[in-house]
Amino acid sequence: MEEFVGLERGVAMFGGLVVGTTALTALINDWQATGLDNNVTKLMLGLMVVGCVLVVLTAFHALGAPSV
Amino acid sequence: MAVGAIVHGTPSDAHDEPVDSLYAETRDMRLLGFVLFLISDVVLFSAFIFAYLYLRNSVPQWPPLGADGKQLPRFDTLFAAVNSVVLFGSGATMHFALESWKHGAKKAFNAWMASTIILGSLFLAGQAYEYIHAKVTWAGSTIGASFFTLTGMHGFHVLVGVIYLIVLMGQANSGVYTKLKHFGLTAGTLYWHFVDVIWVALFTLFYLI
Repeated sequence: MEEFVGLERGVAMFGGLVVGTTALTALINDWQATGLDNNVTKLMLGLMVVGCVLVVLTAFHALGAPSV
Repeated sequence: MAVGAIVHGTPSDAHDEPVDSLYAETRDMRLLGFVLFLISDVVLFSAFIFAYLYLRNSVPQWPPLGADGKQLPRFDTLFAAVNSVVLFGSGATMHFALESWKHGAKKAFNAWMASTIILGSLFLAGQAYEYIHAKVTWAGSTIGASFFTLTGMHGFHVLVGVIYLIVLMGQANSGVYTKLKHFGLTAGTLYWHFVDVIWVALFTLFYLI
């Protein structure tokens, strides 16, 4: 996979930013929504944003050990 | 407005129907039951995660030494990051699918559902690729056993989720759900978000720390 490292980093960075921004926007839009389903959705959207932040930091080599 | 049109599509195919009293009365109970099911799944994953953390802390170095006395390699973090983006992206498309349905945009719903199913399948394909090229085996080491057990269990949940979404899409298109009566779609969305969130934990545990 060494030959695809640059491509993988680009996809992870761009994808993480796009998906993270989308999830954050959805979270902000749903913030006022009430009810069990909406509250669980908000929690999960928040955790998804955290996941996207982790992915972007990984792409920037700020997180994660070097791959073997 | 433009973003709203992209997400929700045109409301020309709106499908309003009154909510019957039985549905209204039982919806909250079914929702609570489904959330309790998700919590029980969290407990299941937590048990395996704590077993992994116990094994991890019972050896002086991680990854542990292999049978040949050399330290076993770490997993491919960058590839997992790409696969994570695919899964998180499917969570976003699933969210838009439900929102489209709530706004009565059936065409947009179908497009977002199809995207979710494709992205979920891509994630599974990525995981299969990773399994084939893994430098550890299930029986060869504690890191391999933990990795294949936890990610395999998660992958099984994703596989079930993909089948679940296909069934939901079929039901939605055959008139089982309406704009106001769509508990199945709500449950499907919650389940799909759940497999996303579990992956955040597994990605952190196996690839980042």
